[in-house]
Amino acid sequence: MFRKILIANRGEIAVRIIRACREMGIATVAVFSEADAPALFVSMADESICIGGPRAADSYLNMEAILSAAIATGAEAIHPGYGLLSENPKFVALCEQCGIAFIGPTSELIAKMGDKDEARRTMKAAGVPVIPGSDVIEDVDEAERCAEEIGFPVIIKARAGGGGRGIRIVKERAEFRGAFLAASSEAASAFGDGACYLEKYLRPVKHIEMQVLCDNYGGVVCLGERECSVQRKNQKLIEESPSPAISAETRAAMTLASTRAAKATGYRGVGTIEYLYTGEGDFYFMEMNTRLQVEHPVTEMVTGVDLVQWQIRVAAGVKLPFAQEDIRISGAAIECRINAEDPGRGFAPCCGTVELLHIPGGPWVRFDTAIYQDYFIPPFYDSMIGKLIVHAQNREQAIRKMKMALSELVIEGVTHNADFQAQLLDNPAFVDGSYTTGLLDELGK
Amino acid sequence: MLGREFFKKPKNALEGQKGPAAAPQAPDGMFVKCPACGANLLREELERDNLVCKRCRHHFRMGARRRVALLCDEGSFEEWDAELESENILSFPEYETKLAGAKKRSGERESVVCGEGRIDGQPFVLCVMDPNFMMGSMGRITGEKIASAFERATAKRLPVVVCSVSGGARMQEGILSLMQMAKTSGAIGRHSRAGLLYVTVLTDPTLGGVSASFAMEGDIILSEPGALIGFAGPRVIEQTIRQKLPAGFQSAEFQREKGFVDAIVQREKLRTTLSQLIALHCGEQGIDQNLYALRRREELATAPQSLTPYQRLQAARGKNRPTAFDFIERCFEDFVELHGDRRFGDDKAVVGGVARLFGMPVTVIGIEKGRDLKERIDRNFGLAHPEGYRKALRLMRQAEKFRRPVVCLVDTSGAFCGIGAEERGQSQAIAENLQTMMELRTPVISVLIGEGGSGGALALAVADEVWMLENAVYSVISPEGCASILWKDSSRVAEACDCLKLTASDLLELGVIERVIAESEKRELMFGWLKTALCDALQEKRATPLDQLLRRRYERFRKF
Repeated sequence: MFRKILIANRGEIAVRIIRACREMGIATVAVFSEADAPALFVSMADESICIGGPRAADSYLNMEAILSAAIATGAEAIHPGYGLLSENPKFVALCEQCGIAFIGPTSELIAKMGDKDEARRTMKAAGVPVIPGSDVIEDVDEAERCAEEIGFPVIIKARAGGGGRGIRIVKERAEFRGAFLAASSEAASAFGDGACYLEKYLRPVKHIEMQVLCDNYGGVVCLGERECSVQRKNQKLIEESPSPAISAETRAAMTLASTRAAKATGYRGVGTIEYLYTGEGDFYFMEMNTRLQVEHPVTEMVTGVDLVQWQIRVAAGVKLPFAQEDIRISGAAIECRINAEDPGRGFAPCCGTVELLHIPGGPWVRFDTAIYQDYFIPPFYDSMIGKLIVHAQNREQAIRKMKMALSELVIEGVTHNADFQAQLLDNPAFVDGSYTTGLLDELGK
Repeated sequence: MLGREFFKKPKNALEGQKGPAAAPQAPDGMFVKCPACGANLLREELERDNLVCKRCRHHFRMGARRRVALLCDEGSFEEWDAELESENILSFPEYETKLAGAKKRSGERESVVCGEGRIDGQPFVLCVMDPNFMMGSMGRITGEKIASAFERATAKRLPVVVCSVSGGARMQEGILSLMQMAKTSGAIGRHSRAGLLYVTVLTDPTLGGVSASFAMEGDIILSEPGALIGFAGPRVIEQTIRQKLPAGFQSAEFQREKGFVDAIVQREKLRTTLSQLIALHCGEQGIDQNLYALRRREELATAPQSLTPYQRLQAARGKNRPTAFDFIERCFEDFVELHGDRRFGDDKAVVGGVARLFGMPVTVIGIEKGRDLKERIDRNFGLAHPEGYRKALRLMRQAEKFRRPVVCLVDTSGAFCGIGAEERGQSQAIAENLQTMMELRTPVISVLIGEGGSGGALALAVADEVWMLENAVYSVISPEGCASILWKDSSRVAEACDCLKLTASDLLELGVIERVIAESEKRELMFGWLKTALCDALQEKRATPLDQLLRRRYERFRKF
């Protein structure tokens, strides 16, 4: 086991990782920016080193400073948390060169999964369903045949695309030719490249992701799914496990596909495979996140597996003592992200001092946060200030518990979105579990 | 705030087995410490960034070969005199050992690498000094290689770029080293008299005999940021005067402020800047017909605005009136600003440099008032000091050398009136400009774009033609000054405006100016019209034999 780990992150996830280490008897090194000197994780760690200015580019993304801190403190491993350097293959390669264990997969694997096209090909080869689509097509007749094959609706995308230009959603065959020619000429004039390809247009969809945990010896377990369809501008707001919308058969099929994907890539550590779910048991690979996820606690609650501790253990070379058949999903868990933002002002990020703080309690209520009373929330970083997680025997009870817990959460001095979250929990589509990624857009209408 | 010891440490033993104790370590050479900001930099990234610190932009010293590769088109550099090596002529103790060490460290035979190369296809001669060879110290062979490079460049009519880095003369070669200063200066003088371009790039450090000779003799002197540039090194000065020198003393930025450096160029922009300068001086000197064909052809309004002289004065001083920089941006292309008078300082009230007018290189000099209060303070409200006029003079002489026309944009209420200005010879500076401009052997057009106040304006307005914007004013004294002197009442400004005949139409009638430029609501229209008019007029002047041009210019002022 590692004797000392450096945590290359901040906020609640740094606190989460330090807690795991303290439980495991591992010494911790926090690295922090000048703006984070009063932060909770800085106090909780055994050693803390300031690595640069408030801007993330000067501190939490400053690879040289983080590596120097690890070398100076003799940290054997670096835990990257999520975001920041967690999926940066270059940083991982540098850790490898310095003889520091990176708690995550190898740099090659991160690079492979970071390349959308390569990830798609790898998954397809591993037998994981991918969104039906075509290569670049020049000829409109051929494109039409191809669209027919994929099945309408299809989306036409420009290879060089960006900013929504060169994109057409075609609902039926009669519209196809005109749309394809328009997209192509629009792309040609906007990007100087008229090449387009087709993809099946999947809407409405649910965002369902599968958690995998792999050791260094080929041991792979899938810890069930999380549904993260409540999103605002691709930012997840509420996550739950299990998903209310998928059947036991679909879950089994997704588990099998994800396990196969992890094995095919020789994956190590914790990882998440994100799928688009279109109902009726159809799911399509979207991308793989080669790191711990923000929403990992919901999986922890329903499986009883401490993901962070296991992530550290497998990185240290421990063999998984349990197999897929040992994994039991019990009850239902929900997580609400608490963001310092103002839903009344277009979700503008807020900062300020926490004047009064009350954290909800009671059985199976968990609040992962890095704030404390009198803490000043600096304006430089992500607006998420906590994650409220509840666990109950079934989904209905979990929703009740979450509403109770949200009403007990008091953070004075900083505008946040807890009330907004409580409203979402009452939304009929959420209550009956039929909600899709379009939920917030529909609310906005 | 939570303290460091705020939480107790749980008494949990390390779970599982301890792994083998392996202290992490960076492989040798993986990191380089920036001497300026102390940041640890990845060598691989530092190399990719041309040895510039990505955190503080500190420019690390760069070996000669590497710089040659940075500046020349790939494979174009052909080295000259590579075989020359220093000898210990004075039998100076331990010199051979020093030389052997320097050769080993730098991989070079001497402290300078000279040869001919191309930059974006343009042939040029390049001499680059090497900091790893006795810190670029100047010995006999250094001087020899540089002097001979200039001689060959003169014969081949090529521009020269020298990148200097040197601690100064080479002690071990004694007085022979000192003689290199004169020798190189002589060769550069001949190159210059042949009308050829010489650009120096001062890098850290450029000191002593090198800075006091060829490094400071460029037509254009560029510098890398933060470079130490001076005659005596800071340590020597501190020991001599027994005082601590202020931070930034003798830095490139300091030298630019003191008027000795034209521009500070980041290393990543060095190649494009040099290429642009060489193209401006050695490329096509005529207009680009393709660009010219795209000129705006709209006529400006002919009906003059009906304003009183006083209203025009107010318009000329108006807050939103375009300043010299607006004209430079809108009427010219590719402007490269050049700083300093090479005497005392860089006057921010006077801006100048080289630019293009429909592709034709021209020297542009303007008096800049600044666009907002902060800029106005920085530009001293367009009130020039002697160093401003001397900068203009220097740039005009350069234009004469390279036979390119001069455009002056005048907008000042007068030359600055103050102690320093008098101490440094405001009158002499203005007077010298008048005489030089009268005989400048290249076409000159001056445009009064706002206020034309007295001698301070005339110092940039002795030209083949003088034009005025419709609401510009030009007078011997400010109307306030006139009212206060004549009538002891400075409030009678409007009256003074009427009496002084300071408007464009009055001056056209008096023959003081040749052209009035109508001011349109649509400024782009005016800029476009002026650009075409300047181009057409300068083309015509360039076609006029020089003697005739100078005679007309003389007569133009002789008539008053």
